Amino acid sequence: MTTTALSAIALETERTNRMTRRLQRISAAVRYLILAGVGLVMLYPLIWLIGASFKTNAEIFADPGFIPKEPTLNGYINGWKTSTPYTFATFFWNTFLIILPKTVGTAISATAVAYGFARFEFPFKKLFFATVIAILLLPNVVTRIPQYLLFRDLGWLDSFLPLWVPSALAGDAFFVFMLIQFLRAIPRDMEEAARVDGANTLQVLIFIVVPLLAPAIVSVCLFQIMWTMNDFLGPLIYISSVDKYPISLALKLSIDTTEAFDWNRILAMSVLALAPSLIIFFLAQKQFIEGISSGGVKG
Amino acid sequence: MGGDSKFLGLLYISPYVIGLLVFTAIPFVYSFYLSFTDYPLMTAPVWVGLDNYLELFTSDRTFRKSLSVTLVYVFTTVPLKLVFALFIAVILNYRLKMINFFRTAYYVPSILGGSVAVAVLWRYIFAKAGVVNMALGFFGMDPINWFGDPNYALFIITLLRVWQFGSAMIIFLAALQSVDKSLYESAAIDGANKWQTFRSITLPLITPVIFFNLIMQTVQAFQEFNGPYIITNGTGSPLKSTYLLPLYIYDEAFKKFDMGYASAIAWVMFFIIMVLTLVAFWSSRRWVYYAGDKRS
Amino acid sequence: MAGLQIRNVEKVYGNKFKAVHGISLDVKDGEFMVLVGPSGCAKSTLLRMIAGLETITAGEISIGERVVNNLVPGKRGIAMVFQNYALYPHMKVFKNLSFGMRLQRRPRAEIESGIGHVSRLLEIEELLDRLPKQLSGGQAQRVAVGRAIIKKPEVFLFDEPLSNLDAKLRAAMRVRLTSLHKQLKQEGLSSTVVYVTHDQVEAMTMGDRICVMKDGRIMQVADPVTLYDRPENTFVAGFIGTPEMNLFSARLHKGASGASLEIGKQRMALDPSVMARLTLGDAGEVTAGIRPQHIAPAAAGASNTLEGRVSHVEFMGHEIYLHVVIADNAFIVVTQSAGFDRAKASEGAMHFTVAQDALHLFDPVSGKNISLGS
Ligand SMILES: Nc1ncnc2c1ncn2[C@@H]1O[C@H](COP(=O)(O)OP(=O)(O)OP(=O)(O)O)[C@@H](O)[C@H]1O
Ligand SMILES: [Mg+2]
Repeated sequence: MTTTALSAIALETERTNRMTRRLQRISAAVRYLILAGVGLVMLYPLIWLIGASFKTNAEIFADPGFIPKEPTLNGYINGWKTSTPYTFATFFWNTFLIILPKTVGTAISATAVAYGFARFEFPFKKLFFATVIAILLLPNVVTRIPQYLLFRDLGWLDSFLPLWVPSALAGDAFFVFMLIQFLRAIPRDMEEAARVDGANTLQVLIFIVVPLLAPAIVSVCLFQIMWTMNDFLGPLIYISSVDKYPISLALKLSIDTTEAFDWNRILAMSVLALAPSLIIFFLAQKQFIEGISSGGVKG
Repeated sequence: MGGDSKFLGLLYISPYVIGLLVFTAIPFVYSFYLSFTDYPLMTAPVWVGLDNYLELFTSDRTFRKSLSVTLVYVFTTVPLKLVFALFIAVILNYRLKMINFFRTAYYVPSILGGSVAVAVLWRYIFAKAGVVNMALGFFGMDPINWFGDPNYALFIITLLRVWQFGSAMIIFLAALQSVDKSLYESAAIDGANKWQTFRSITLPLITPVIFFNLIMQTVQAFQEFNGPYIITNGTGSPLKSTYLLPLYIYDEAFKKFDMGYASAIAWVMFFIIMVLTLVAFWSSRRWVYYAGDKRS
Repeated sequence: MAGLQIRNVEKVYGNKFKAVHGISLDVKDGEFMVLVGPSGCAKSTLLRMIAGLETITAGEISIGERVVNNLVPGKRGIAMVFQNYALYPHMKVFKNLSFGMRLQRRPRAEIESGIGHVSRLLEIEELLDRLPKQLSGGQAQRVAVGRAIIKKPEVFLFDEPLSNLDAKLRAAMRVRLTSLHKQLKQEGLSSTVVYVTHDQVEAMTMGDRICVMKDGRIMQVADPVTLYDRPENTFVAGFIGTPEMNLFSARLHKGASGASLEIGKQRMALDPSVMARLTLGDAGEVTAGIRPQHIAPAAAGASNTLEGRVSHVEFMGHEIYLHVVIADNAFIVVTQSAGFDRAKASEGAMHFTVAQDALHLFDPVSGKNISLGS
């Protein structure tokens, strides 16, 4: 091959390389553009919400922007007082009172149950595991009415017990399933070593399995907190006295009772209602994303 | 482990077993029984045979409306959400630098999920003088009465849930990222172009998560309650166009305290979900690839 | 029917890392070329550039007479067998084999006859209806090879295809692949192969020629015997052969009475034949090399020996490895175990004779072999 032919090829290669690089850059740019556009559309409602909560009522429906022209805290001040004898602090506290036992109960029961499923053989194991999957798919409208009747007969209506107890008995099949999946992926050698060293199964659970499973358990707790915070139907059915209302009900109540034009009050309270979830999410986004990626969680 | 009693495992799962019996199994059966009774809560349930079901399917126009609205809602929301989630996941799967940032940003709406506040926000955004109509005005379009027009109201609820595509997207993304890169290279050597590679390699390999998302999202969509309840103040307006079955069940059970009738509605809905799920599972053998354990 | 030409090929990765420094290599039609070298020497990179899976930063690759730089992998006339086989896990073996042909919309009859032929050749007829996860390692390997053969490519590319198999299967597959190569050749099919491995046994037993690489450069290209007998530099000398060639610093003296090699405080007279081979004639520092098989315990009363202390004796069955220290240099000496007196070895000092026709001398700075003659 002659030198001129060779250098022509070299030029050609150089050109295609340049073109490939340019195509790659264009394709990346298009992707970023789509992502950024979609992201903006997705997040704008939330941004607008925060901005609008500081607007005056007159401005809320007059201007699509999110920066308030005359920032005011009136929404927050009036909203916080609520139209009930209680302030929003009460409702936050109630939410907390629902979440804490429920989450702790979930963590303990789901871990123990997942341990049982993942590490032991016992009669009817297949059948019980099948029920976990079945509950995963079972729409709970079917069981809601009898559950309500049950709690009524137990005298638990208008208390937090109907919200706590089912979860504390590993009733959220999602979490059990998620932890079983995690546990199956963890090799057993450490546990076996501990057994050889004389630990019983409970000690193995507490000293070996729980630390190994900690990230997954944290994910479970975080999801349970979020879902409980968002739960509306549960409190709606079971809680009737306003002094026991969690935020979700209180927010609904304030919509129903607020003057028709007092928009910023409702928006301000919505911001407050979302704030805990957002804060927890941004503090622990890694756990959320990993929890979802590996466990496959609804949402 | 050797030497352990074979009931030890049962001991660990005993909380679950108790919960299963008390809060799921017995209520499940009891609810089936209730659906054949008249039970106004104050008096004991009275057996009425198939009356509830007969009424549902012959004379109850609200039910028919509610059922059709629910089916429309499910069959638009689920595909839209999944396709959108997959689309974004495929874009993110390309080695982009800011993937984590976008992944997080897109997930935020999902985390706020079915909260009351988000439904409230939706009410404001799609209000007659809301941001969306202002944007439409900017493009020279007439404002739309989103929640006043039966043609749009349900779609707004759909949009609310499609907006929360984040968790489905993250599951898709995780699946996409776990596809062995050398399969793509092998396909390239076999002469496949980008689209053929996506059709023949990527898509079949992520069918398990497509299936998972499909089932989960469908079951969830059937149970949608918060969105329409809060946005329409529980009325399912306009013209019952957002009156999904869970709203109807709620009204019958906890407003009219007609527990028997409500149970019957719940069972019809359960039956539909079950049939759809079974169809999905049955058909899955034909289109879902299971990366099960190695055996020969 | 085509060879492969690589001309001054360079590769710079996106992160500015230069992986390949101007490689030129000719693979003849039908030749089995092995790329071998330590981990990270860019064997895979080079192979993937041939395949079209990596862009070529500079230089030119042609298959047959066709420059392929700017062709997509599917159009280059190559087939590749990956280390993990990269079988499509959701397709049965039959579909795996036919995927490429189906993309090209080849007629059904052609696809079936192709698969029939290949599956007989590789004895995978029984497996056509299985999924890849239902195959053993060796079976999956054969399917991967079948998927390559069925395409009738001009050049086959293999990237460490045997490294996931256990030792026994690997030995069997080695033989199988070589005979397959011969068979393809006899059938008049194109059978040019570029085969990447870091296992020198594979390289020596399978390759028509071997290309030894290091840090993105070619150290030597030659047939196995030449590579073993006439390494061009210390790297190749050390890389090929087990145990490794003994390399040690020495001083070359030339005098009226003949030449000699000074190792520490010892001196060994050199045969005139060694001197005749030297291409760089100056006396001075050299690196000397002798394979463990070419140095032996001296017979009683032999002259011109080296004295060393045996530090360790490894019994390998047929052979014995002696770990010896000669003038502060560690040596390995391989000797027949029959008739070897272990007691004598453990006494300490022993004498060794060097087979001088197998002695190599290298330039201590460049590492070039200066004793190859002209
Ligand atoms: N995508 C990449 N980006 C940057 N550097 C890379 C990339 N791929 C490989 N390298 C670098 O290029 C060099 C050659 O890598 P290559 O995979 O070709 O080595 P190899 O000879 O095949 O090694 P091995 O025997 O371990 O497979 C290595 O130093 C590696 O780190
Ligand atoms: Mg490699």
